[in-house]
Amino acid sequence: MKLLACLLAAGLLPLGAAPKKPVYVGARVCGSCHAGKGMGNQYSRWLHSRHAMAYAALAKPEAAQIATISGLRQKPQEAPICLGCHATAFDVEEWQKDDTFHMEDGVQCEMCHGPGSEYMTESVMRNREEAMKAGLRIPTQDDCMNCHIEKGSHVAVLHTPLVDIRKAWAAIAHPTPENAKPGAIPKAKVEARPGPRYIGSAACGKCHRGEAGGHQWSLWRMGPHARAWAVLSTASGFQQAAKRGVEDQFSDPRCLKCHATGFLEGAAARTETATIDEGVGCESCHGPGSEYAVEAVMRDRPAARAAGLAKSPRQACAACHQGAKFNLQEALRKIAHPTRPAAPVDGAAHVRYKTPLNLAMRPGGREIYVACEASDSVVVVDPARKIRVAEIAVGGNPADVAFSPDGRLAFVSNRHDDTVSVIDAAARKVVRTLEVHDEPHGVLTDREGRLLYVLNTSSDDIWVFSLPRLERVKSLSAGRGPWSLALSPGGEHLLVTNMYANFAFRAPFDAEATLIETGRGAVEERFKVPGANLMMGVDWHPSGKFALTTLNRTKTLVPMTRLLQGWTITNGLGVVWRDGRVDEVLLDEPNLGFADATDVAITGDGRHALVTSSGTDRVAVVDIGRLLAVLERATPRERERVLPNHLGMQAEFVVKHIATGASPRGVLVPPAGRWAYVANSLDDSLTVIDLVRMEASGRIDLGGPKTVTRGRFGERLFHSADITFRKQYSCHSCHPDGHVDGLSYDIEADGIGFNPVDNRTLRGILDTAPFKWAGTNPSLQRQCGARLAMFFTRLLPFTPEQLSAIDYYITTILRPPNRYRALGARLTPAQRRGKLLFERATTNDGRTIPAGNRCITCHFPPYYTNRKVFDVGTRHPLDRMSKLDVPHLNNIYDSAPYLHNGMAPTLEEIWTVHNPDDLHGQTNDMTKDQLNELIEYLKTL
Amino acid sequence: MLRITALVAMAAGLAAAEAPRKLPYVYTKWKHFTVAEGLPNDHIFAVKADGSRVWVGTENGLALIDSRTGKVRSWTEKDGLPWRVVTGIDIDPKTGDVWLALFGGGLARFSGGRFDHWHQLNSGLVNDVVYGVAVENDNVWAATTAGASRYNLRTGEWTIFTEKNAPMEEIWNYGVHYGDGKVHLAVWGSGVLEYDVATGRWKDYLDPDGEMEIDLYRDDGIIHVITTAAHYVEKTLWVSSYFGVCRYDGRNWRGFFNQDSGLPSDFNNNLKARSANEAWFATDKGVGAVVDVATNTWVAYTRDPKGKSGKAVVTRDKEVLETVEMETGIPHNYIIALDIQGSDVWVGTSKGLGWGVGEGYYPGLKERPPVVARERGDRP
Repeated sequence: MKLLACLLAAGLLPLGAAPKKPVYVGARVCGSCHAGKGMGNQYSRWLHSRHAMAYAALAKPEAAQIATISGLRQKPQEAPICLGCHATAFDVEEWQKDDTFHMEDGVQCEMCHGPGSEYMTESVMRNREEAMKAGLRIPTQDDCMNCHIEKGSHVAVLHTPLVDIRKAWAAIAHPTPENAKPGAIPKAKVEARPGPRYIGSAACGKCHRGEAGGHQWSLWRMGPHARAWAVLSTASGFQQAAKRGVEDQFSDPRCLKCHATGFLEGAAARTETATIDEGVGCESCHGPGSEYAVEAVMRDRPAARAAGLAKSPRQACAACHQGAKFNLQEALRKIAHPTRPAAPVDGAAHVRYKTPLNLAMRPGGREIYVACEASDSVVVVDPARKIRVAEIAVGGNPADVAFSPDGRLAFVSNRHDDTVSVIDAAARKVVRTLEVHDEPHGVLTDREGRLLYVLNTSSDDIWVFSLPRLERVKSLSAGRGPWSLALSPGGEHLLVTNMYANFAFRAPFDAEATLIETGRGAVEERFKVPGANLMMGVDWHPSGKFALTTLNRTKTLVPMTRLLQGWTITNGLGVVWRDGRVDEVLLDEPNLGFADATDVAITGDGRHALVTSSGTDRVAVVDIGRLLAVLERATPRERERVLPNHLGMQAEFVVKHIATGASPRGVLVPPAGRWAYVANSLDDSLTVIDLVRMEASGRIDLGGPKTVTRGRFGERLFHSADITFRKQYSCHSCHPDGHVDGLSYDIEADGIGFNPVDNRTLRGILDTAPFKWAGTNPSLQRQCGARLAMFFTRLLPFTPEQLSAIDYYITTILRPPNRYRALGARLTPAQRRGKLLFERATTNDGRTIPAGNRCITCHFPPYYTNRKVFDVGTRHPLDRMSKLDVPHLNNIYDSAPYLHNGMAPTLEEIWTVHNPDDLHGQTNDMTKDQLNELIEYLKTL
Repeated sequence: MLRITALVAMAAGLAAAEAPRKLPYVYTKWKHFTVAEGLPNDHIFAVKADGSRVWVGTENGLALIDSRTGKVRSWTEKDGLPWRVVTGIDIDPKTGDVWLALFGGGLARFSGGRFDHWHQLNSGLVNDVVYGVAVENDNVWAATTAGASRYNLRTGEWTIFTEKNAPMEEIWNYGVHYGDGKVHLAVWGSGVLEYDVATGRWKDYLDPDGEMEIDLYRDDGIIHVITTAAHYVEKTLWVSSYFGVCRYDGRNWRGFFNQDSGLPSDFNNNLKARSANEAWFATDKGVGAVVDVATNTWVAYTRDPKGKSGKAVVTRDKEVLETVEMETGIPHNYIIALDIQGSDVWVGTSKGLGWGVGEGYYPGLKERPPVVARERGDRP
């Protein structure tokens, strides 16, 4: 009934039609026939297997470690990536699960055999062909390998050997006997007895779960007690039964008194939710729970006792565990399930650094707020005393911070959470959290404090909130990856930098600087910055005539191996004039790059600009007068063609380099005063710069841990240009913050333009091996070792220690949660229809789509890749290869362009342009609205 | 400058023509914009006012007129305009972004000097032949020859409305308009479809008599299913068609035809409603403006095909109340686009754009002598 109602509510059924959409019914429903000797004890064999414990196993500390090196912030039992192989139907909607289905039962029958509602009846199941027509799937060993394929994360933590699928297949074999006779799990009696009744451990688990509850339910589920009934069907179970003269151990009280919960009290003592197949459940020791298993009662221990909670659960042990060999204390230790969470296995993994990224001075000058990405906090610094004075917890991965003009409020963008924390600066407390769009970075108000601007770097838009009501009033279109913004001296304009260049396949590109008129709160102009990408920092000159931005100039049309000619990535400044003209100059020296110019701030007198280089741990001091003189004396052609590429010109205007801490990011130059501050992201400190002497004059410790973990060491390596020839760039240069730069590259020295490849994200990639579009690199070690040195850095490769550290760090790069669907959330009608298309086996006109040409075959959950190589007909005339790695599709919406060489700027073009022969899935029979719906679903993966 | 011959068909004769009576405002001051003034093309397909700025869509480019200075800027494909033919324009009131319907080229956004382009290959737009565009909150609607598309700027989702999911008997969408919580589609052969943004529900307005050539029963509903534009203003729906025009106030329908009103022709390409009481219609024989519904008072603007002069004819039912002759009339009698800019009106024709300057404009009717302009020197 629930199923029908849900289907009707979901709009999937016309009124009066019979339900046709299969739903998951749960293993216990399968067991209602597949239990007992007559069915080869199929149900109990599953229940005794590790498949049945797969969900519970995610409560292990090791699972948390695996999640860490899979780039996940979610707890494993809440992470789609983990649940994809540790639970059944992790990605379905609530209406697709009947009341009898419980995800906590792990990898159940329907994981392999498909949702059972349509084929589960005995009459259908007795005819294999009919059952398969109704949805029964008979899996192959290949299907099993979609989950059991080697995963780097699991090998790293669990040291698991390769799965021998033939052995594993044999181990879980559960053939149906020739003269099959459906059995049944004994059910509760309709006529209940008075007094407390057994409610089953699943009911207890509703509260006694999760990290806060010490994972008590999961610990039980993984223990032998939960398999006490199932073990009766094992060879040992039969042996023991025979030894004791028991004919049917599944009904004999001599067995079941200790292998099931409350068996001797009879079926009338159990509610419908309590079944004997759960073995020795919570209530075996704690007493039948119907009267005390209410939160309000359980929180009042005397009341719980009065309601039947056993006072001395240990006494129950002796009733079954007899014999001299039984050691009660040892047994209790083994099944301990304290409420307190278990200590982490790897202490290093839980070291919490600060990682300061950007900073702002509160009007009045008495406090500096520092947004600290790794600690999810803002550290408050007293600049006069040069000490950290407070820390305010904010959202996930804070990136930038700004104050209201009156200094009463601070706004912090939380890149991981898609929120902005609003802090009452006097109380040092978050008073409100604003929901914003994808991955907010820059945040700033106008001069009057009338509007707040939030740059959403992954959704390419700028959300505008009214102040003080903090209501979203509009969304402005940005460039690609809006990053930072600065207010013009008069307050009339905001200039926004955009990280990513405007896409152009195998053609010169440009980046955008977006000018917002603050009076209207609207985009006034968009300035093109030719050849630039990764435009990040920005500040206006006090004259208001121009702003300076940091930028990279990346040469993607020539092979990366031209590093020796300085022809790969150069780093510099953009001069964005108010009238729309743009000049570009480099900060690199011929023999020493200024890798990853990240932020810029201009002194109040307008004479100098401080520019951070996160790749070389330096600040460049630019004499702005000299810079302008260089520009003025150059011809227009020189300004357009020569200066943007001139490696020697910086000597004319860079007057000093100041060493900082590791990986400097944001730089703050207050409008007045002697000191500037640089956020050293990877040593949790600020460098204080004396603006008179133009030298570092101190360090402010932000309170991070002093140990350097392997991950932190790797993170420093990733952000350091030390590994490249003349320090021209770092890993971060192409993979900013572990993601993509939105470009495609010509990497190898095989001729200009040959084999271009799209840059791919590093977020959560460990288990998506092999790497490279050709799928030829089996491991990160190879990818970041010899290959990196050969094709990218042209220096000796990382040492083994370095390689281990950088690979570890890469595995921990966070994968943001999916913006289009939270775990278990309802799909929109369009997404729902798209899912059917993604999983379809027939074309619109009823033709069967070969399994190899269905989306779901190659893009299998939870990573939506089967990690193999295929020819999908996208070979370009300049390509050497036809067979390509199947990319994972998680968060596919945030890594345009698409296909192996980036020739598809949008998801649509993968099929409207590049799939003429249906080699990349059967799509040409789809209508336009169907393709739209398929794409809507893809965005939820 | 202005020659007025007030031809009042009254039995009282000329003396009675001088007597004050309730008459509408008449636009007598017209300025023209053509290629000579800087437009990229004289075939005007769309016009949209945004404050003092007037955006103009032509057969070969986009133009922007600053009505304060008269300065004209234009963009063609060589300037980055993604497609030459601009058939519809709407402005996002919050951001100021300009959305363009491109006939054969899809949809474009012009923002801060940057053109963004969506078409049927790179996006979920259902078809590249786009007649009209309308901004509705965070959505942009496109009327195309293969259905309507809705693009959600916040989620990036494209939704297609065709016969599959809307009461769209035909899918050739001519016009789209958003106002007061409702999106209206004018569909060739499917009347007008109304989408309620709050409920997500559709309502269709079809010709109740089902006749193609005639409107069999007056005021029984929309006059014809082949519609060209629909505007919803002040809870009133105005509809234009190739067989006349009509108005629906939520309770009653009223049709207007050339035979019994001042509408210059039943062949209407477009409309722009100023209020529940005033709407302007783009016909193949000039501009018709109903300025007072209750009295069926119209002003029809036409141009002398042989010269630059034109005239405005004020009628009530079919009675001519006043004829105002002007040295400069509207640019051409084949009208394709209209917009209202405060007191002014803009008329896009097949040969140039006309700007009717509305100095002293008043809505509805006002007691004045038909010859009052003679007393003021240049204005009726």
